[in-house]
Amino acid sequence: MIRLKNLVVTTLAVCSLAGSAMAIGFTKKSELGGFDGFVERMGGGVRELGRGNTGTADTATMPGAFWNPALLGFRENIGYTLNVEKRDLDRLGGAFGIEGKVGKRMGVGFAVLYRGDRDFKIIDEDDQTVSTSKPFFSMFYLGFAYRATRQDAFGLSLSMSYDNLDIADSRYFEGIEVEESFRSPVTINLGWTRQWNAKWSSSVVIRNLSFSKNLSAKWTKNPSRDNTLNSTEGVRPKVLQIGLGYRSKIMGKPVYAWMEALDYQVADTLLAFDPQLHVWTGRVGFECEATPNATFRVGMDDLNWMLGAGYKFEIRVGKRRFPIELNYAFLYETSAGIWSPFSLGLRGYIP
Amino acid sequence: MKLGYAILTAGLLVGGALSTNALAGETLFSNYVFAVGPAGQNGALWAFSRDGSYSGLTLLNFNVSSKGAVVTEATAQAQVETDTLSAARYEIFDDDFAERRRIPAVYAGSKLGLLLPMFSLDENGRQSQPAGYYSVRDLRNIIENPLDEPVDEDTLQKQPMMYATSGFAYDSTAKRLWVARGALGVMVHDMSGKKNVDTTFVLNLKTNKLEVPKKNAELDLENNPEIFDVRLHPETGDLWLATAKGLWVKSSGGLKNVSKNLKDSRVTGLWMGGSPLQIIAETNYKKKDNVVGGLWRIYGEKNKDFVKVDFLDTAGKVQKKDIYDEADYTVGNVAFIGKTAYVLVHAIGGSISGYLKLDSLGARAWEKDDDGKLQWLYGYETGATDRKAVIMSMCAFPLSKNRTGLAIATYGNGVSVSADSGATWSVVLNRAKLSNNLGSIRMVPSVIVSPGEESLVSYKLDKESKVTIEVFSYDMRKVRTIVKDAVRNADASRSSNPKEDYWDGRDDHGKDCTMGVYYIRVKDNHGHIGWGKAMTLGGNFR
Repeated sequence: MIRLKNLVVTTLAVCSLAGSAMAIGFTKKSELGGFDGFVERMGGGVRELGRGNTGTADTATMPGAFWNPALLGFRENIGYTLNVEKRDLDRLGGAFGIEGKVGKRMGVGFAVLYRGDRDFKIIDEDDQTVSTSKPFFSMFYLGFAYRATRQDAFGLSLSMSYDNLDIADSRYFEGIEVEESFRSPVTINLGWTRQWNAKWSSSVVIRNLSFSKNLSAKWTKNPSRDNTLNSTEGVRPKVLQIGLGYRSKIMGKPVYAWMEALDYQVADTLLAFDPQLHVWTGRVGFECEATPNATFRVGMDDLNWMLGAGYKFEIRVGKRRFPIELNYAFLYETSAGIWSPFSLGLRGYIP
Repeated sequence: MKLGYAILTAGLLVGGALSTNALAGETLFSNYVFAVGPAGQNGALWAFSRDGSYSGLTLLNFNVSSKGAVVTEATAQAQVETDTLSAARYEIFDDDFAERRRIPAVYAGSKLGLLLPMFSLDENGRQSQPAGYYSVRDLRNIIENPLDEPVDEDTLQKQPMMYATSGFAYDSTAKRLWVARGALGVMVHDMSGKKNVDTTFVLNLKTNKLEVPKKNAELDLENNPEIFDVRLHPETGDLWLATAKGLWVKSSGGLKNVSKNLKDSRVTGLWMGGSPLQIIAETNYKKKDNVVGGLWRIYGEKNKDFVKVDFLDTAGKVQKKDIYDEADYTVGNVAFIGKTAYVLVHAIGGSISGYLKLDSLGARAWEKDDDGKLQWLYGYETGATDRKAVIMSMCAFPLSKNRTGLAIATYGNGVSVSADSGATWSVVLNRAKLSNNLGSIRMVPSVIVSPGEESLVSYKLDKESKVTIEVFSYDMRKVRTIVKDAVRNADASRSSNPKEDYWDGRDDHGKDCTMGVYYIRVKDNHGHIGWGKAMTLGGNFR
């Protein structure tokens, strides 16, 4: 039995690493980093961050509206999550979600993801710092799910971005009517989750579909109201995200393995079959419940390493008990060589 | 043949290499310099700048080291008194007419100093209303000289640039300043008496005389052509007028049109200097939707009348096509050193700029590129500037007792100065103080408004290092490698190589990066790492 577990774990790790390697090998026509959608790529939720940003195949993942709207179909109580990430280079991020059951078979959830830079210095051509701005980028999700069977749920979420560059008041743009905030049109994300048995679960998520041509989530942004500056186009890549979860025990301790393979289509086409227009990447994560209340995690998102820990406790108010989980994650962004030790998250349920 | 070009190019790159080491801590009023001009003393140079809303002047003092390098000794700056006034007019890059796309900057002796045109705000809040001229004597005396506009307000509002101040000539003997004023003719500012007197004249083609226009007289450009430039002949002292109907000379013998070849030409600029004396004239007119320009010259005793400047290939063969066949150029200014005339030109919109070197035969190309295209314009490629910036103005000025310097003004990259007739250049521009060993990285500017615009990665090393510069997205995915293990020298102010160390808002595949914040990492081979930040307003999905 242990051999089987090892085999599964090894397979997941190899798949994930292979995905990362393929991502490097095939990123030939565009860089994913230069594409729209980094807020989404960075995930939301410190619990999930600690295990490599894996979450689509775990029915307990929050916020479900972001990760996989189908997860909302498995909600029994009102769940909430609040997360803060302080990363190096003045980057501040966070996520908030609230979700719950509607009727017998449905769920609904709302999520906000936030990423910002708290200290961006606007330097002019005279090498003078004219002002400091705090640009931020956010995503809003509203998700719905339907639990078709005890094992299957299907979900749909509508998402929209709101970005604010915080540059309009800068002397740098004096004389120009700068538009600093941008909203994207609504895009659609689809999800399916299946809980095969007590051990295995899987998910499929398709992100960033739109009603426009090629079903691409594309929009034009005009950074000036007086058309002084050139307008720009944003395209969010279509994403196919396939997740797998495996639950078992090692030496009596519950362990979990998560894997996700992601395909980003970096082209404004309906379907591109040219491999050079796709960026493949992978995520892998492991969890171990060392004690009933304490969980330790390790994971890898593309080439970034994560460590995480979670502690569960309850707050009693009268006769009611409110389960709460406090999560922590430690992140190493490998390409840039940056450590980020400050990520804290809180989540819980209101029974 | 190709080897020859390669050697020539290498020679130019080495010879034209910028020496910036000696120039630490310069402060210009702004790196957006529109005009440079002599300040009357050895090593002194005026630079007029505008940083968006405010205009000012910087007085630069240079020295020449024993090795021939230009050293900035001191800089001082002052803002013009009235902040709604400026010498740099709105639409200076885009106007159809050449005479409106340059700023005349003429040194007129210690009493008047540097003369520059002056523009005030129009009803749209843009500096496009001719308002007189500046007389810059020193930083405490930037005198604003308003001029009367003897035309009605409505005419002024509709076509203000018809009356712009576009040329100066100072007669030190007679103590008279001549000012070209377009449709208003020419004004003389007489300082010979106790009281300064201003008188405006128009050129009357019927009488061939300069006459004072009658009060409330209507414009008659057929008989009173616009006067775009004025010069005093350095040998005869005669007054030369560049007009919409040829070149006219006022001498003791009267006023006459002196060039048969330019008899009816719209002569928009005139420059004289050098030894032997060269007289260079620019013609420019609008034909339907096209603008047609030309460059003419009299070289010493060689020509009796103006002839078109020949454009030669690298072997000295005269070419049928020249730069004017590709774009419309404006002569920004002409600097003379000995037998050579340095003619600064820039195209409409500022897309191309550089200077021509005119010897006795004409403008000789310095390179023929792989496509067979001849390169006549000296500039960024030959080391005159270290960043791609429009060259706005050029002048010759006394660097020391026996040495004439060349200076160019750039739009965004300060001033470049040469002590060896353009072989090597030193750049003077504003730079923030940086910490050693990549302690502080600055992206200049830190906002890339459109992909393709360059943001310089500014850093400092205290010893020679191999530097790698990479760009990361917010989620720390590597987007671009700018340079890898590139050798950079220690420098007192900045170690960056502006020709390579910049980010243009694009990824490794040349695609525009989407709107957002990006992080620029600079690493050296001694273990030091520094980070800078840049924002792009995004490009277009391609």
